[in-house]
Amino acid sequence: MRYLIGLGNYLAGDDAVGVHVVEHIVANGLDRGFTAVELATNALNLVSYLGPETEAVLVVDAAYLGLEPGDYRVFAPDEVETQKELAGFSTHEGDPLKVLELARSAGYTIPPFAVMGIQPLAVEHGTGLSACVGDRLPSYAAAAIEHLTGL
Amino acid sequence: MTSTVHIDVHHLTRVEGHGNIIVNVTDGAIEKCEWQVPEAPRFFESMVRGRHYSEVARITSRICGICAVGHTLASVKATEDALGIEISEQSRKLRELLKHAENADSHVLHAYILVAPDLAGAPSVFPLVETMPEVVARALRLKRLCHEWGSLIGGRTTHPTTVVPGGIAEVPTNKELAELKQKLVAAVPDLEATLETVAALAPNIPAFDRPTEYIGLSSDEDYGLYDGQIQSVLPDGTKQRYPVADYRLVTNEFVVPQSTAKYTKNKLDSYAAGALARFNNNYDMLVPQAKQAAEMLGLQPICTNPYMNTVAQVVEVVHSVYDSLRLIDELLETGVKLEPLAQPTKHGRGIQSVEVPRGILFHEYDYDAAGTCQGGNCIIPTNQNHNNIQHDFDVLVPQLLAADKGEKEMELALEMLVRAYDPCISCSTHHLDVTFVR
Repeated sequence: MRYLIGLGNYLAGDDAVGVHVVEHIVANGLDRGFTAVELATNALNLVSYLGPETEAVLVVDAAYLGLEPGDYRVFAPDEVETQKELAGFSTHEGDPLKVLELARSAGYTIPPFAVMGIQPLAVEHGTGLSACVGDRLPSYAAAAIEHLTGL
Repeated sequence: MTSTVHIDVHHLTRVEGHGNIIVNVTDGAIEKCEWQVPEAPRFFESMVRGRHYSEVARITSRICGICAVGHTLASVKATEDALGIEISEQSRKLRELLKHAENADSHVLHAYILVAPDLAGAPSVFPLVETMPEVVARALRLKRLCHEWGSLIGGRTTHPTTVVPGGIAEVPTNKELAELKQKLVAAVPDLEATLETVAALAPNIPAFDRPTEYIGLSSDEDYGLYDGQIQSVLPDGTKQRYPVADYRLVTNEFVVPQSTAKYTKNKLDSYAAGALARFNNNYDMLVPQAKQAAEMLGLQPICTNPYMNTVAQVVEVVHSVYDSLRLIDELLETGVKLEPLAQPTKHGRGIQSVEVPRGILFHEYDYDAAGTCQGGNCIIPTNQNHNNIQHDFDVLVPQLLAADKGEKEMELALEMLVRAYDPCISCSTHHLDVTFVR
C-alpha cells in the first residue's frame, strides 16, 4: 500500500495546504493506486502508516523552504535539518520529521518516505488558502501523484 | 527557606499550545506567581453563523486536533437538541465506542509521550528510546490501536466524518467490529504492562494535595463520557447535579488580566475538570478491571493530588477498552445499519455536553426554521482548568519555598503540575521549517 498523507491545521490558512491537496485528490477521484489520508494536526498518527507492508509514503505539508510562496519541493527526510522549534512533542505541534525519527529509533521499518513541502504565504487564523497557493492545488496534486505512483 | 527565585518559563514544553509560568520571589516574599495564557482568541463561534446544521460539527471539529471527536459529538448532540432530532440506541453505542477511542488515544499520548519523560527524569520521549525501548514501542503500538479504533467508527480519528445529526452515516460491518474486538483483546497485555510501568514510575509523582471542587458529566447508567448531567463533588464528598442546560450557572466565566482565556468557578474559588474530576465523581461506574487498576496504582476517590490526573487517565484507558468490548458485543448481537442525516422537527436553542480527554465540554447553538445556525457558544475544559492551576500555584509555591527547593526544582515541579492537567491551550499551526543540508 502507498499513502499520500496531508498534514495541517484547517483553520490556519496556508498551513492547511496538505489537507486541501488530499481533499482535491479525493473529490476528483484521483486516489488510484494509493490511499489519500488526512491527518490534520495529528502527525503522531503517521506511525500507523509505517511498517513492512507499506510500499511508500508521501507527506504533503506546508513548509518554510526559502522558496517563493506557492512553490514546492519534494525531498527526503535526510536531505534536511528541521529548524522547527517545538513547544513540545505533541499531536498539536508534531513535526513529521520528528515522528519519523522516533519511529525509526523505536525499530519501525521505514518505507520509502518523502515530503512535499509547499511554501506558504500566510499561516494565520482563518479558513481558506492564499490565492498563490490555492490556485495551484491541481498542480500540487498532479506532482504528488506522479511522485507516489512513479516510485 | 529559599529566599530569591525568578522563574520565567515562556512557552512551556510538552503541553498543547502556549502557556507561561512566572514566579518572582525576593527576600522570601512572593511578588508574582502566575500561570499565564497569552494566546489570542480564535472566535470559532463566529465561524458557524450562517452554516447549515449538517456542516456545523464539521467546522467545530476543527477546534482541536486531539479532541476532534469530542467536539463533533458535543456539536451534533447540541444540534439534535435544538432541532428535535432523536438518535437510536445503535447510534448512541457507536458514538460511545468512538468516544472511548478518543479518550484512550489522547490519554496514551499524554501518559507515555508527555508525562513519562518527567517521571523517568528525561527531557523528552526521545531518550527513553534508549533507556526504555519496550515502553516506547508499547506506546506506539497503543497509539496505533487507538488510531485504528477511532478510524473504523469515525471514518478517521482526527476530524471524524461519519457522525451526523441523527446518527452515524457510515457504519462498520460485523466483520470489522469483530476484528476491532480481537485487536482490543490482543492489547490487554499491553494494558497490563502499562499499569506495571505506571506503578513503577508512580513513586516519582509529587506528593501535593489541594482539595478543590471537581466537575464532570455524571450518569446513573454509565461513567458519563458521552452523556449525563453536570455533577460537582466537593472534597468532603458532597455531590450536586445540574441540568446541562444550566452550564453557564456552573461555569460562571470571568476574565483576569494575566490570561486571554476566560477563567471559571462554581462553589469554590476554582474547580477542576478532566480524568481526575471524572474519577472522583464517577468511580462507582468504572468497569471492575478499571477499579482494579486504580487500586493497583493507589488511586481512590476523592483524590486531591492534581499530579494524579495522569494516573486517572491510565485507569480510564482500561475502562475504555473493557467497556468497548461490551459495546461491540452488543452491536454484534443486534447488527448495525446506516442512520444518515435526519431532518429537523423543530428549531431553536440546543445545549449539550460530552466529556473529552481534558474534561467537560459544552456546545450551544441557535438555529432558525431553515436549519441555519444563528450563533453558538463553546466552553472547553482546558479553560475551566486555568483558574484551578493558578490556585494550585498559589499553594504549591509557598510549600516549595518552605521546603528549600532550588529554582530548577521549583520550575520542574510547576511545569509537571501544568502538564498533569494535560492542557490543550490551542491547536497551533503545523508547518515544517527546514534547511537543506544536501
